Amino acid sequence: MDTLAQPSRVDEAVAPVLARPQLDLELRGIRKRYGDFTAVDGISLKVAKGQFVCLLGPSGCGKTTTLRCVAGLEEPDDGGVLIGGKEVTRNPPWQRDIAMMFQDFALFPHMTVAKQVAFGLEMLKKPKAEIAKRVHEVLTSFEIAVLADRKPASLSGGQRQRVALARAMITEPRILLLDEPIGALDYSLRETVMLELKLLQQRTGISFIWVTHDQNEAFSLGDLVVVMNHAHIEQQGTPEEILQRPATAFVAGFVQGNNVFRGRVVEVTAGLAKVATAAGSFLVSVGPSPPLAGDEVSFSVRAERITDIVSDRHLNVLSARCTAVEYFGSVRRHIFERADGEVLKYDQFGAHAARIAVGQRSTLGWQPEDSVLHTGRVE
Amino acid sequence: MSTIRVRSPASYWLAVPAAAWMLGVVVVPIVLLVWVSFWGGRTFSTTSPLTFDNYARFFANQTYVKLAMSTVVHTATLMAVTGVLGYCIAYFLTMKVRSPIWRMALFLAFIVPFWTSTLIRAIAWIPFLGVNGVINQTLMFVGVTQSPIEAFLYSRTGITMAQVSLYTMMAAGPVVYMLNSIAPALREAAMTLKAPPLVVFWRIVFPLTLPGVVIGQVLVFLNVMSDFATVATIGGNKHALLSNLVLLFYEGSQIRAASVVAVLLMICMLIGVVAALRVVDIRRLGADR
Repeated sequence: MDTLAQPSRVDEAVAPVLARPQLDLELRGIRKRYGDFTAVDGISLKVAKGQFVCLLGPSGCGKTTTLRCVAGLEEPDDGGVLIGGKEVTRNPPWQRDIAMMFQDFALFPHMTVAKQVAFGLEMLKKPKAEIAKRVHEVLTSFEIAVLADRKPASLSGGQRQRVALARAMITEPRILLLDEPIGALDYSLRETVMLELKLLQQRTGISFIWVTHDQNEAFSLGDLVVVMNHAHIEQQGTPEEILQRPATAFVAGFVQGNNVFRGRVVEVTAGLAKVATAAGSFLVSVGPSPPLAGDEVSFSVRAERITDIVSDRHLNVLSARCTAVEYFGSVRRHIFERADGEVLKYDQFGAHAARIAVGQRSTLGWQPEDSVLHTGRVE
Repeated sequence: MSTIRVRSPASYWLAVPAAAWMLGVVVVPIVLLVWVSFWGGRTFSTTSPLTFDNYARFFANQTYVKLAMSTVVHTATLMAVTGVLGYCIAYFLTMKVRSPIWRMALFLAFIVPFWTSTLIRAIAWIPFLGVNGVINQTLMFVGVTQSPIEAFLYSRTGITMAQVSLYTMMAAGPVVYMLNSIAPALREAAMTLKAPPLVVFWRIVFPLTLPGVVIGQVLVFLNVMSDFATVATIGGNKHALLSNLVLLFYEGSQIRAASVVAVLLMICMLIGVVAALRVVDIRRLGADR
C-alpha cells in the first residue's frame, strides 16, 4: 500500500468519511501561558478527516504554539487535544499519530537523505527490507532518489523541502503539521511547491494543518482557514467566507483588498444601518440580527466592489484624491486618501476602464450590499 | 571581504612572528631532543655516534616497559571517567538547567577552581585526601569507617581522583559548545518521528556532539600523559608515570635516557591525536551546520 504514489486511494479514503464522520483533530479550548504572556487563549477547532486547514495570522498570534500543542511539543495549561477521537493532551510527541514539517526543515545534519527518510520507519520498528523498499519508493515519488546518499548541507532549499516532506510523510500519519513549510523557499519556487502539496494532500487523504502568515497560501490551499490574532481565533471558515464576509475588523484589515470603516450606528431601517464614521456616513446592509442605534460597529468594503462610475444605485459615495496606483497585472489598485486619514483602496480589473491619474480627485461609490457589517467580537 | 587575499605575499608576512616563535620553542627543541636520544658513546657531545642503544636499554628494562603500559592504562581510565562525567555535566548544564542565571552560576562554580594553577590545585588535594584529611574525617564522622582509609593519598586512587577533578572540565567544555549548537528543532523533529528521548539522544544528540567528545578526549589524553606534577604531589614517591620518569632521569643528569622517554611520550601522543582525527575531522567542526 503506497498512499504517496497511488492516486486511486482517494476514493477509498472519502467513502468512510461519508459513512462515519470522524474528526482527525479536535481542540477543546486550549490555553497556554508563558509567565505573563498568553500565547494561546482558548482555541477550539474541529478538523474533519482529510481536511486542509490553514492557521493564518500575524507573527506572535499563537498559531505556531497551537500547532506545537497538537504536536505535543508544548503541553497546554488547560483544554484538550483529541487526535482521531482519542484524548492525547498529556501524551508526548512520540505517542501521537502526527508528523511535522518544521520551518527550516530541521534535517539531521549527520544523516544522508536516505537515512533521514528511513528514520520514522525505523522508529516504528519495521523490518529492514521493508524500510529499504519504502524509502526507495518514497524518494522516487518525491523525485529525490538521486540525492539518497547526500547530506543536507549539500542540498538546495527546494531539495531540503522535499526531503523534509518525504521524511514526515513516509510514516503515513493521520495529521501532518506544517510550520511555515515554504517560508524558507525562493519566491519563484513557492507556487509550484504549493500546488504539489495540495495535490499530495488530496491524494493521500492525510489532514494537513498548515501554519502561515501569508494569506495567499492560506486562501489558495485551505479547505478551512482559521484566522488568529492575539492568541484567539478571529474567524474560521472557507476562503470564500473569510474573503467575502470577514467577521471582525481585524480579519477585514488583515485580508488584502478590504477597506475597513469604524463608526457608530445612527439609525437602522429596513435592512440597512446608517453608520457615521470619520470619513462620512454610509449605509450598510445588515443581517438577521441588526445592530442597535448607538452601537459601535465596523464594516468593510472590498476594493473591487467600489466603482468610479457612480449611479443612483450607489448610495454610498466618497470623494477623495488618488495618491498612488499599484499595477498587479490583472488588477490596477488605486490608493485614495480618506477624510479620516486612512487609505481607501479601489481595484480596477483589466485595461478597459478609464485610468485615474495620481493626484486626481474622484468620486467613488458602492452599494450598501457591497459592504459587510462585522458581527464578530469587537476589539 | 578582506582586502588581503589569502595567498598573497603580504599575508605570509603576517605568519612570520608566530612561525619564528614556533620554530624556536617547538621545532628546534624537538629536533634536538630526538637527536640527543640517539647519542651513543661515552662523551656527551655533538660528536657522539648515533645509535639505538638508548632505546634498546629502555625496552630491555621490564620496570620501564611496565611503567609505560601503566601510563597508557591510567590515561585510558582517566579518559573514560572524565568523558562520561564531563558529558553528563555538559548535558545537565545546557539541556536541563533552563534559567540562564542558574546556568551561569553553575558554570562559574564549575570553572572557578581553574583560575589557579595546576600545581596549586594538585597540592590542595593533600589535606583533602590525607589520612586525617577531609574525606576520612567525614567518613569516620558519618560512621562508614572506624579507622582512616589510607588508600586515598599517595595511591593510584588518589591520583585518579585528583586528575578527574582537574580534567573533567576539559572533557566537558567542547561538549557544552557542541550541545549548544544543536538546534532544538532537530530533537523535536526526531520526537515527532516517534523517537522516545533515549533514542533521540543516541541517534541525534550524541552523534552531533561526537566531535566535541573527541576534542575533549584529546585534551584529557595529552594533559594526563604529560602531567607529572599531580602524580608527584599526590602519588608521593610511590607512584610514577612516564612523564615522572623524564623528570627523574633529568634530575639524575641522564639526559639521553630522559630524551628517550620524552620521545616515546611524544610518539604516544601523536598516535593518540592521529587516531582521534581519524574518528572525527576536527578541522571540519561545525561545517555541517
